[in-house]
Amino acid sequence: MATISFAKSVVNPALKLILKQNHCSHLLNTNGLPVLTPLSLVLRRNYAEKQVFERTKPHCNVGTIGHVDHGKTTLTAAITKVLSDLNLAQKKGYTDIDNAPEEKARGITINVAHVEYQTEQRHYGHTDCPGHADYIKNMITGTAQMDGAILVVAATDGVMPQTREHLLLAKQIGIQHVVVFINKVDAADEEMVELVEMEIRELMTEMGYDGDNTPVIKEGKSPEIGAEAINKLLQEVDSFIPTPVRELDKPFLMPVESVHSIPGRGTVITGRLHRGVLKKGTECEIVGHGKTMKTTVTGVEMFHKTLDEAQAGDQLGALVRSIKREQIKRGMVMAKPGTVKAHDNVEAAVYILSKEEGGRSKPFTSFIQLQMFSMTWDCATQVNIPDKEMVMPGEDATLQLRLLKPMVCEAGQRFTLRLGDLTLGTGVVTKINKNLSEEERIKLLEGKKAREKASAKK
Amino acid sequence: MIFQLVRSLHTGPICRAAESSLLAKLRKKTGYTIANCKKALEMHNNDTDKAETWLNEQAQAMGWAKATKLAGRSALQGLVAVKFDKNHGALVELNCETDFVAKNDKFQKMIEDATMACFKFAHTNMQSKGPVTKMELDSEQLGNLAAEGGKKLSEILALFIGSVGENAVLRRAECWKANNSDVKIAGYTHPAPSVLGDYSAGKYGALLAYRQANDHEDIGKQLCQHIVGCAPTKIGDKEADKPAKNSDDETCLIYQEYLLDPSFTVDEVLQQNNVEVIDYVRFSCGEVAEASMPGVEKQPLDTVQTVQ
Repeated sequence: MATISFAKSVVNPALKLILKQNHCSHLLNTNGLPVLTPLSLVLRRNYAEKQVFERTKPHCNVGTIGHVDHGKTTLTAAITKVLSDLNLAQKKGYTDIDNAPEEKARGITINVAHVEYQTEQRHYGHTDCPGHADYIKNMITGTAQMDGAILVVAATDGVMPQTREHLLLAKQIGIQHVVVFINKVDAADEEMVELVEMEIRELMTEMGYDGDNTPVIKEGKSPEIGAEAINKLLQEVDSFIPTPVRELDKPFLMPVESVHSIPGRGTVITGRLHRGVLKKGTECEIVGHGKTMKTTVTGVEMFHKTLDEAQAGDQLGALVRSIKREQIKRGMVMAKPGTVKAHDNVEAAVYILSKEEGGRSKPFTSFIQLQMFSMTWDCATQVNIPDKEMVMPGEDATLQLRLLKPMVCEAGQRFTLRLGDLTLGTGVVTKINKNLSEEERIKLLEGKKAREKASAKK
Repeated sequence: MIFQLVRSLHTGPICRAAESSLLAKLRKKTGYTIANCKKALEMHNNDTDKAETWLNEQAQAMGWAKATKLAGRSALQGLVAVKFDKNHGALVELNCETDFVAKNDKFQKMIEDATMACFKFAHTNMQSKGPVTKMELDSEQLGNLAAEGGKKLSEILALFIGSVGENAVLRRAECWKANNSDVKIAGYTHPAPSVLGDYSAGKYGALLAYRQANDHEDIGKQLCQHIVGCAPTKIGDKEADKPAKNSDDETCLIYQEYLLDPSFTVDEVLQQNNVEVIDYVRFSCGEVAEASMPGVEKQPLDTVQTVQ
């Protein structure tokens, strides 16, 4: 028992799973206990012993993109190996990363290898990008994000026909910063490597990146990648890819969950602070359901205790000045004045769930009316598919959504689309279009009638 | 800036710079991998013309070598393409390893070539028997077809594999020919191109043979879209089959809700428009091929399978 607990304290949580099994079989062999008891015991203990994530460095999400044979996984494995020597990462083998099991997160099957490591400056989440559609799905559902990317190219092959498509994906998902890693330099000579570098810079410029100033790191030693190159790469990643703005540093926003009227004090709005910091005395704006109101937060409370400053993630109650309970409804948003607006015409990237994931078995076509849920609001929405005739289950698509009334929407906001009792898909707002005019709004309803008429004629 | 400086240091000697530009030129012109371009130049004393000829000669062999090397890797992405006219249709599936490749122009050219070859095959090599002559081609038979210019499809595929360095497979194809003038053929792929033509490629595709009198609006394309979307497993027979309890689980074409207007069943739409569905086939890219074609034995290229 002593050896086991010692081993456990040394071995990291990821390996615990394996250890757990060994542990069990060991117990079974010696004691002959029923299967369930030791397993449940061990499980519980493992949770209690989980490592605590220490937030000392800013976090950044990066990922590798590139050809299947150019050494993306080898590079990821090498990064963890080099950093594990400095005690900044857990060493992961090639097969650990390559054979990442399909995970089922929130009912959606995702296929992504997630690795964490840190440098002296920052903490990183590292994703390997399996395919275009897979990645778009991950981005839409929020299972993987990239603030920057590492493009891996083998010096022997150079830029391949599909490298353009790799960069196109990066562009599409909004990656501004790409660091290039030229692999397998030992199998090429200087001249070839130069040419590869030139080609990449050219292609990057063509794809709208700053090709001339993109950092390029070259490395040869196969099958393993040397520590020197890794350090150089990480230095460039540290300096070239900017740290994303934390939710805490953004202007505050709180979706309204419920409203109460407290005699003698006034109206209290409760909800979870989505982002930013909320202090007593702050000016705020309450937007939604077609209304906009300005007021001041006169008090912030949490668990019936007053609070000087609430931070993103806090569940709080905010006392607002001179506003009646009836004026505010669930689904509105309280935010810093001028930072949010209600919109009723947005464009979004949406992933439609397959039947296995709980979606519908049938595709849908334009003009279907769905219920859109986001933050605390929901609203009937007319769907228009601009570039396809229909959207199949298990597919991603760009949709134009027209809401029956303006609600708070902003680029990057996540939402769910439902039809009856089925969740049809999940998406993220990509673009805000001009609000509908009165005419268009009437058309939204009239068009439906006209279509019904047309179908009745048939 | 630093990198440019380093680069200029590297390219110091003049002779080196000249060679480098030769390599760059050759690579840009031919598009073969840098390692191969380099080898070609070395073998022919920097004679670009000779090197280019050699590369072109070698490309086929290298393609084959690469194709053999990668043959075991699973390729489940790719495209399904359809080409049809009134009486002929071809449906082809070409697979690759990642969908990045499927988005590439070269891949799209490749599948177009393959589809044209099948379409030509449907015109020339199929004997007339029954209302519709159907022919299913597997990977090997498909590879043996000749594309425009006389090259075999398998050769073009090997060249393609050599160029992208990923496995690709000509999975399967269907060639159809309608023998009676009242039988029409329609095709559809999803996602459909914005301008509808008689050729398109997407993740899903279907071919449909149907009979329709000319006095009604042609709904062949719409029915194809329904088949692509709702994936019926059979046409269904009103006497033998019963509609499923839950309309979402319906697998018989005639009992399914019509995709473009769910208030009607397909059967009702067929009757309203005076259409008789003779046969259909649906490909979904990456699906296990055997499951969709149960009980069909492999046939030599010169025999045909007929329905009805």
